[in-house]
Amino acid sequence: MSLPALQNPVWHRLAGGALPRMRTQNLGVQLMTKRLERSADSTAAKAAEIHAFFAKWERVLQSEIQQLATL
Amino acid sequence: MTNELMTTARAAELIGRGLPLAIAGPKCELEQLPAGAWIGGTIPYFMLPSGGVVVSTGQVFVTDLSAIGDVRVAYQPADDLAGIARHAPDNGFSFTIIPAGSTAHQRFAAEAASYEGAFLKPTVGWIAGVHLADLGREAALVYDGRTRTAHADGAVVAYVALPADKAASVEIVNLFEADGTDVLTFDDTTFSVRRCRVNGEPVDFADYVRRRGLEHGRLPLVGDFAGARINVSLQAVGEDGNVALYAPVFPGVNYQFARPVSDYAAAFRAQLAHVDPQGVVMGCNCVLNFLYGELEGKVVGGIAGPVTFGEIAYQLLNQTLVMVRIV
Repeated sequence: MSLPALQNPVWHRLAGGALPRMRTQNLGVQLMTKRLERSADSTAAKAAEIHAFFAKWERVLQSEIQQLATL
Repeated sequence: MTNELMTTARAAELIGRGLPLAIAGPKCELEQLPAGAWIGGTIPYFMLPSGGVVVSTGQVFVTDLSAIGDVRVAYQPADDLAGIARHAPDNGFSFTIIPAGSTAHQRFAAEAASYEGAFLKPTVGWIAGVHLADLGREAALVYDGRTRTAHADGAVVAYVALPADKAASVEIVNLFEADGTDVLTFDDTTFSVRRCRVNGEPVDFADYVRRRGLEHGRLPLVGDFAGARINVSLQAVGEDGNVALYAPVFPGVNYQFARPVSDYAAAFRAQLAHVDPQGVVMGCNCVLNFLYGELEGKVVGGIAGPVTFGEIAYQLLNQTLVMVRIV
Protein backbone atom coordinates (compact mmCIF):
# COMPACT_ATOMS: atom_id res chain seq x y z
CA MET A 1 0.00 0.00 0.00
CA SER A 2 1.38 3.38 -0.94
CA LEU A 3 1.55 6.29 1.47
CA PRO A 4 -1.24 8.92 1.21
CA ALA A 5 -0.07 12.42 0.31
CA LEU A 6 0.26 15.08 3.01
CA GLN A 7 -3.00 16.67 1.83
CA ASN A 8 -4.92 13.47 2.59
CA PRO A 9 -7.26 13.99 5.60
CA VAL A 10 -5.92 10.87 7.27
CA TRP A 11 -2.92 12.80 8.59
CA HIS A 12 -5.14 15.39 10.25
CA ARG A 13 -7.24 12.61 11.77
CA LEU A 14 -4.12 11.02 13.19
CA ALA A 15 -2.85 14.37 14.45
CA GLY A 16 -6.25 15.16 15.94
CA GLY A 17 -6.23 12.13 18.21
CA ALA A 18 -6.48 8.95 16.15
CA LEU A 19 -2.80 8.04 16.24
CA PRO A 20 -2.91 6.30 19.68
CA ARG A 21 -5.45 3.87 18.24
CA MET A 22 -2.87 2.49 15.82
CA ARG A 23 -1.75 -1.03 16.68
CA THR A 24 2.05 -1.04 16.58
CA GLN A 25 5.12 -2.46 18.21
CA ASN A 26 7.38 0.08 16.51
CA LEU A 27 9.19 2.03 19.24
CA GLY A 28 9.54 5.16 17.11
CA VAL A 29 5.81 5.28 16.40
CA GLN A 30 5.00 4.75 20.07
CA LEU A 31 7.35 7.42 21.41
CA MET A 32 6.37 9.92 18.73
CA THR A 33 2.70 9.28 19.48
CA LYS A 34 3.21 10.13 23.14
CA ARG A 35 5.31 13.18 22.29
CA LEU A 36 2.59 14.52 19.99
CA GLU A 37 -0.09 13.76 22.56
CA ARG A 38 1.80 15.92 25.07
CA SER A 39 2.64 18.64 22.56
CA ALA A 40 0.93 22.00 22.12
CA ASP A 41 1.85 22.10 18.42
CA SER A 42 -0.92 22.87 15.95
CA THR A 43 -2.78 19.99 14.35
CA ALA A 44 -1.28 20.98 11.01
CA ALA A 45 2.24 20.81 12.41
CA LYS A 46 1.54 17.45 14.02
CA ALA A 47 0.06 16.13 10.77
CA ALA A 48 3.16 17.20 8.88
CA GLU A 49 5.41 15.51 11.43
CA ILE A 50 3.43 12.27 11.29
CA HIS A 51 3.47 12.29 7.49
CA ALA A 52 7.22 12.94 7.41
CA PHE A 53 7.77 10.07 9.83
CA PHE A 54 5.74 7.60 7.82
CA ALA A 55 7.35 8.75 4.58
CA LYS A 56 10.79 8.21 6.08
CA TRP A 57 10.02 4.78 7.53
CA GLU A 58 7.53 3.61 4.91
CA ARG A 59 9.47 0.42 4.18
CA VAL A 60 9.34 -0.84 7.77
CA LEU A 61 5.86 0.43 8.66
CA GLN A 62 3.74 -1.51 6.19
CA SER A 63 1.42 -3.00 8.82
CA GLU A 64 0.88 0.47 10.31
CA ILE A 65 0.30 2.03 6.88
CA GLN A 66 -2.34 -0.60 6.13
CA GLN A 67 -4.27 0.64 9.17
CA LEU A 68 -4.37 4.28 8.03
CA ALA A 69 -7.70 4.03 6.24
CA THR A 70 -9.37 2.51 9.28
CA LEU A 71 -8.27 5.08 11.85
CA MET B 1 31.33 -7.42 12.13
CA THR B 2 33.35 -6.69 15.25
CA ASN B 3 31.23 -6.03 18.33
CA GLU B 4 33.21 -7.60 21.13
CA LEU B 5 35.51 -7.32 24.10
CA MET B 6 39.16 -7.27 23.06
CA THR B 7 42.57 -6.28 24.36
CA THR B 8 43.32 -2.59 24.43
CA ALA B 9 46.30 -3.27 22.17
CA ARG B 10 44.01 -4.84 19.57
CA ALA B 11 41.65 -1.85 19.76
CA ALA B 12 44.62 0.48 19.23
CA GLU B 13 45.57 -1.54 16.17
CA LEU B 14 42.05 -1.17 14.72
CA ILE B 15 42.17 2.58 15.35
CA GLY B 16 45.55 2.68 13.62
CA ARG B 17 43.98 1.05 10.58
CA GLY B 18 41.59 4.00 10.36
CA LEU B 19 38.47 2.08 11.33
CA PRO B 20 35.61 4.11 12.88
CA LEU B 21 34.89 2.60 16.29
CA ALA B 22 32.70 3.01 19.37
CA ILE B 23 34.69 1.94 22.42
CA ALA B 24 33.61 1.29 26.00
CA GLY B 25 35.92 0.53 28.87
CA PRO B 26 37.62 1.64 32.04
CA LYS B 27 39.21 5.09 32.00
CA CYS B 28 42.71 3.65 32.37
CA GLU B 29 42.26 1.72 29.11
CA LEU B 30 40.57 4.46 27.09
CA GLU B 31 43.38 6.84 28.04
CA GLN B 32 45.87 4.53 26.29
CA LEU B 33 44.18 4.59 22.91
CA PRO B 34 45.70 6.58 20.03
CA ALA B 35 43.93 9.35 18.15
CA GLY B 36 41.57 8.25 15.43
CA ALA B 37 37.99 8.00 14.26
CA TRP B 38 36.52 6.74 17.49
CA ILE B 39 34.17 7.72 20.27
CA GLY B 40 34.31 6.24 23.73
CA GLY B 41 32.85 6.22 27.18
CA THR B 42 33.87 4.94 30.58
CA ILE B 43 32.15 1.81 31.84
CA PRO B 44 33.57 -1.45 33.23
CA TYR B 45 30.46 -3.66 32.86
CA PHE B 46 29.61 -5.72 29.79
CA MET B 47 27.18 -8.34 28.57
CA LEU B 48 28.75 -10.94 26.34
CA PRO B 49 27.33 -14.06 24.71
CA SER B 50 29.34 -15.97 27.33
CA GLY B 51 27.89 -13.97 30.26
CA GLY B 52 28.17 -10.69 32.11
CA VAL B 53 31.68 -9.47 32.98
CA VAL B 54 33.38 -6.66 34.88
CA VAL B 55 36.64 -5.43 33.33
CA SER B 56 39.35 -3.75 35.38
CA THR B 57 42.35 -3.58 33.05
CA GLY B 58 43.61 -4.68 29.69
CA GLN B 59 40.36 -4.81 27.75
CA VAL B 60 37.80 -2.60 26.05
CA PHE B 61 34.58 -3.30 24.18
CA VAL B 62 34.75 -2.32 20.53
CA THR B 63 32.01 -1.86 17.96
CA ASP B 64 33.42 -1.47 14.46
CA LEU B 65 31.05 0.83 12.61
CA SER B 66 32.86 0.62 9.26
CA ALA B 67 30.84 -2.37 8.10
CA ILE B 68 27.54 -0.56 8.73
CA GLY B 69 27.96 2.66 6.79
CA ASP B 70 29.91 5.87 6.40
CA VAL B 71 30.90 7.28 9.78
CA ARG B 72 31.66 10.80 10.99
CA VAL B 73 32.70 11.56 14.56
CA ALA B 74 31.56 14.70 16.40
CA TYR B 75 31.30 16.29 19.81
CA GLN B 76 28.08 18.06 20.75
CA PRO B 77 28.12 20.43 23.75
CA ALA B 78 25.48 20.21 26.46
CA ASP B 79 23.87 23.47 25.35
CA ASP B 80 23.22 22.19 21.83
CA LEU B 81 22.15 18.57 22.13
CA ALA B 82 19.44 19.27 19.55
CA GLY B 83 22.40 19.42 17.17
CA ILE B 84 22.78 15.64 17.43
CA ALA B 85 19.68 15.14 15.27
CA ARG B 86 20.25 18.34 13.31
CA HIS B 87 23.65 17.16 12.08
CA ALA B 88 22.62 13.52 11.61
CA PRO B 89 22.60 11.94 8.17
CA ASP B 90 19.21 11.72 6.45
CA ASN B 91 19.39 7.92 6.54
CA GLY B 92 21.25 6.39 9.44
CA PHE B 93 21.59 6.80 13.16
CA SER B 94 23.57 8.79 15.69
CA PHE B 95 25.54 6.53 18.03
CA THR B 96 25.77 8.76 21.09
CA ILE B 97 27.54 8.51 24.46
CA ILE B 98 26.85 10.98 27.29
CA PRO B 99 28.53 11.01 30.73
CA ALA B 100 26.37 10.18 33.74
CA GLY B 101 25.64 13.02 36.12
CA SER B 102 26.44 15.70 33.57
CA THR B 103 24.31 18.60 32.43
CA ALA B 104 24.05 16.86 29.06
CA HIS B 105 22.63 13.78 30.78
CA GLN B 106 19.97 15.85 32.53
CA ARG B 107 19.08 17.90 29.48
CA PHE B 108 18.99 15.01 27.03
CA ALA B 109 16.76 13.04 29.41
CA ALA B 110 14.25 15.86 29.65
CA GLU B 111 14.36 17.18 26.08
CA ALA B 112 15.35 14.47 23.61
CA ALA B 113 11.90 13.60 22.30
CA SER B 114 11.26 17.26 21.47
CA TYR B 115 14.38 17.81 19.35
CA GLU B 116 13.53 18.52 15.72
CA GLY B 117 13.98 15.35 13.69
CA ALA B 118 14.28 13.16 16.79
CA PHE B 119 12.12 10.44 15.26
CA LEU B 120 13.35 10.84 11.70
CA LYS B 121 17.03 10.52 12.60
CA PRO B 122 17.27 8.15 15.56
CA THR B 123 19.71 8.76 18.36
CA VAL B 124 20.86 5.57 20.09
CA GLY B 125 23.61 4.81 22.56
CA TRP B 126 24.27 4.92 26.24
CA ILE B 127 25.25 6.83 29.35
CA ALA B 128 28.86 6.41 30.46
CA GLY B 129 29.48 5.54 34.11
CA VAL B 130 32.02 4.24 36.56
CA HIS B 131 32.56 1.15 38.65
CA LEU B 132 29.86 1.21 41.32
CA ALA B 133 32.57 1.08 43.98
CA ASP B 134 33.85 4.41 42.63
CA LEU B 135 30.52 6.25 42.68
CA GLY B 136 31.04 9.74 44.03
CA ARG B 137 34.84 9.54 43.64
CA GLU B 138 35.33 9.08 39.90
CA ALA B 139 33.58 10.98 37.13
CA ALA B 140 32.10 9.35 34.08
CA LEU B 141 33.85 10.49 30.90
CA VAL B 142 33.26 10.38 27.18
CA TYR B 143 36.02 10.56 24.58
CA ASP B 144 36.37 12.28 21.25
CA GLY B 145 38.96 9.99 19.71
CA ARG B 146 39.95 12.46 17.00
CA THR B 147 41.89 14.45 19.56
CA ARG B 148 41.89 11.93 22.45
CA THR B 149 39.92 14.49 24.44
CA ALA B 150 37.99 13.38 27.51
CA HIS B 151 34.79 15.27 28.29
CA ALA B 152 32.86 15.21 31.55
CA ASP B 153 29.92 16.87 29.81
CA GLY B 154 28.37 17.00 26.37
CA ALA B 155 27.92 14.12 23.96
CA VAL B 156 30.26 12.29 21.64
CA VAL B 157 28.56 11.10 18.49
CA ALA B 158 29.39 8.71 15.69
CA TYR B 159 27.07 9.58 12.84
CA VAL B 160 26.47 6.44 10.80
CA ALA B 161 25.09 7.06 7.30
CA LEU B 162 23.46 4.00 5.77
CA PRO B 163 23.06 3.03 2.13
CA ALA B 164 19.71 4.06 0.64
CA ASP B 165 18.35 0.52 0.73
CA LYS B 166 19.02 0.12 4.47
CA ALA B 167 17.36 1.53 7.58
CA ALA B 168 18.17 1.57 11.29
CA SER B 169 15.54 -0.07 13.45
CA VAL B 170 15.74 0.78 17.15
CA GLU B 171 14.40 -1.95 19.42
CA ILE B 172 14.17 -2.53 23.15
CA VAL B 173 13.77 -5.46 25.51
CA ASN B 174 12.15 -4.48 28.79
CA LEU B 175 11.70 -7.12 31.49
CA PHE B 176 9.34 -4.98 33.46
CA GLU B 177 5.58 -4.78 33.19
CA ALA B 178 3.18 -2.54 35.07
CA ASP B 179 1.84 -4.19 38.21
CA GLY B 180 -1.75 -3.32 37.36
CA THR B 181 -2.45 -1.47 40.60
CA ASP B 182 -2.23 2.29 41.19
CA VAL B 183 -1.78 4.73 38.31
CA LEU B 184 0.69 7.51 39.10
CA THR B 185 0.91 10.82 37.28
CA PHE B 186 3.28 13.75 37.70
CA ASP B 187 2.72 17.46 37.14
CA ASP B 188 6.29 18.33 36.14
CA THR B 189 9.18 16.95 34.11
CA THR B 190 11.61 16.21 36.90
CA PHE B 191 14.33 13.91 38.23
CA SER B 192 13.36 14.73 41.81
CA VAL B 193 9.79 14.18 42.88
CA ARG B 194 8.08 15.58 45.96
CA ARG B 195 4.46 14.99 45.12
CA CYS B 196 2.51 13.02 42.58
CA ARG B 197 -1.05 11.89 41.95
CA VAL B 198 -2.09 8.35 42.72
CA ASN B 199 -5.29 7.44 40.87
CA GLY B 200 -5.84 11.19 40.59
CA GLU B 201 -5.36 12.00 44.29
CA PRO B 202 -2.38 14.19 45.27
CA VAL B 203 0.02 12.38 47.61
CA ASP B 204 3.54 12.68 49.00
CA PHE B 205 5.54 10.43 46.68
CA ALA B 206 8.18 9.42 49.22
CA ASP B 207 5.48 8.42 51.71
CA TYR B 208 3.73 6.43 49.00
CA VAL B 209 6.93 4.62 48.01
CA ARG B 210 7.68 3.76 51.65
CA ARG B 211 4.11 2.67 52.34
CA ARG B 212 4.38 0.20 49.49
CA GLY B 213 7.79 -1.00 50.66
CA LEU B 214 9.47 0.02 47.40
CA GLU B 215 12.20 2.28 48.78
CA HIS B 216 14.80 -0.39 47.89
CA GLY B 217 14.54 0.95 44.33
CA ARG B 218 14.68 -2.39 42.59
CA LEU B 219 11.38 -1.88 40.81
CA PRO B 220 11.12 0.98 38.32
CA LEU B 221 8.12 3.04 37.42
CA VAL B 222 6.80 1.85 34.06
CA GLY B 223 5.45 4.63 31.86
CA ASP B 224 2.87 3.91 29.18
CA PHE B 225 4.13 5.63 26.04
CA ALA B 226 1.40 4.65 23.58
CA GLY B 227 1.98 1.01 24.42
CA ALA B 228 5.77 1.18 24.81
CA ARG B 229 6.86 0.42 28.36
CA ILE B 230 9.40 3.08 29.35
CA ASN B 231 11.04 2.68 32.76
CA VAL B 232 12.11 5.30 35.26
CA SER B 233 14.33 3.85 37.99
CA LEU B 234 14.41 5.04 41.58
CA GLN B 235 17.78 6.28 42.80
CA ALA B 236 16.98 7.15 46.41
CA VAL B 237 14.13 8.00 48.71
CA GLY B 238 15.62 10.91 50.57
CA GLU B 239 15.14 11.99 54.14
CA ASP B 240 14.35 15.43 52.70
CA GLY B 241 11.12 14.04 51.30
CA ASN B 242 12.23 13.96 47.69
CA VAL B 243 12.50 10.83 45.58
CA ALA B 244 15.51 10.97 43.23
CA LEU B 245 15.12 9.28 39.86
CA TYR B 246 17.60 8.08 37.22
CA ALA B 247 15.43 9.58 34.44
CA PRO B 248 12.71 12.19 34.53
CA VAL B 249 9.02 11.52 34.79
CA PHE B 250 6.82 13.44 32.38
CA PRO B 251 3.39 15.04 32.73
CA GLY B 252 0.74 13.42 30.57
CA VAL B 253 2.13 9.92 31.03
CA ASN B 254 0.53 7.23 33.18
CA TYR B 255 3.02 5.34 35.33
CA GLN B 256 2.71 2.24 37.48
CA PHE B 257 5.30 0.47 39.56
CA ALA B 258 6.71 -2.66 37.96
CA ARG B 259 5.79 -6.18 38.86
CA PRO B 260 8.78 -7.98 40.43
CA VAL B 261 11.06 -10.07 38.21
CA SER B 262 12.33 -13.14 40.05
CA ASP B 263 15.09 -14.26 37.68
CA TYR B 264 16.46 -11.52 35.41
CA ALA B 265 18.78 -13.81 33.42
CA ALA B 266 16.01 -16.29 32.67
CA ALA B 267 13.62 -13.46 31.80
CA PHE B 268 16.14 -11.94 29.39
CA ARG B 269 16.83 -15.33 27.84
CA ALA B 270 13.10 -15.90 27.39
CA GLN B 271 12.56 -12.54 25.72
CA LEU B 272 15.72 -12.67 23.61
CA ALA B 273 14.73 -16.13 22.38
CA HIS B 274 12.07 -14.32 20.35
CA VAL B 275 14.52 -11.71 19.02
CA ASP B 276 16.01 -12.39 15.60
CA PRO B 277 19.76 -11.63 15.90
CA GLN B 278 19.98 -11.00 12.15
CA GLY B 279 21.16 -7.45 11.49
CA VAL B 280 21.71 -6.43 15.12
CA VAL B 281 24.83 -4.25 15.13
CA MET B 282 24.96 -2.91 18.68
CA GLY B 283 23.36 -3.38 22.06
CA CYS B 284 23.54 -2.12 25.60
CA ASN B 285 21.89 -2.99 28.88
CA CYS B 286 21.44 -1.29 32.22
CA VAL B 287 23.77 -1.57 35.19
CA LEU B 288 20.73 -1.82 37.48
CA ASN B 289 19.67 -4.97 35.66
CA PHE B 290 23.26 -6.22 35.99
CA LEU B 291 23.28 -5.39 39.71
CA TYR B 292 19.79 -6.44 40.81
CA GLY B 293 19.71 -9.39 38.42
CA GLU B 294 23.20 -10.49 39.52
CA LEU B 295 24.09 -10.94 35.85
CA GLU B 296 27.87 -11.25 36.29
CA GLY B 297 28.77 -14.61 34.80
CA LYS B 298 25.23 -15.24 33.62
CA VAL B 299 24.26 -15.75 29.99
CA VAL B 300 21.29 -13.65 28.92
CA GLY B 301 21.35 -14.18 25.16
CA GLY B 302 23.41 -13.35 22.11
CA ILE B 303 23.34 -9.55 22.35
CA ALA B 304 26.73 -8.07 23.30
CA GLY B 305 27.56 -4.59 24.52
CA PRO B 306 28.26 -2.34 27.47
CA VAL B 307 26.14 -2.37 30.62
CA THR B 308 25.53 1.28 31.31
CA PHE B 309 24.17 4.08 33.48
CA GLY B 310 21.29 4.69 31.07
CA GLU B 311 20.31 3.60 27.61
CA ILE B 312 19.39 5.79 24.67
CA ALA B 313 16.72 4.80 22.18
CA TYR B 314 15.42 8.12 20.81
CA GLN B 315 15.29 9.24 24.46
CA LEU B 316 16.81 8.19 27.77
CA LEU B 317 15.68 4.83 29.12
CA ASN B 318 16.35 2.98 32.37
CA GLN B 319 16.67 -0.74 33.10
CA THR B 320 16.20 -1.60 29.43
CA LEU B 321 18.18 -3.50 26.81
CA VAL B 322 18.55 -1.46 23.62
CA MET B 323 19.48 -2.80 20.18
CA VAL B 324 20.02 -1.31 16.74
CA ARG B 325 19.15 -3.53 13.84
CA ILE B 326 19.99 -2.71 10.24
CA VAL B 327 17.12 -3.76 7.99
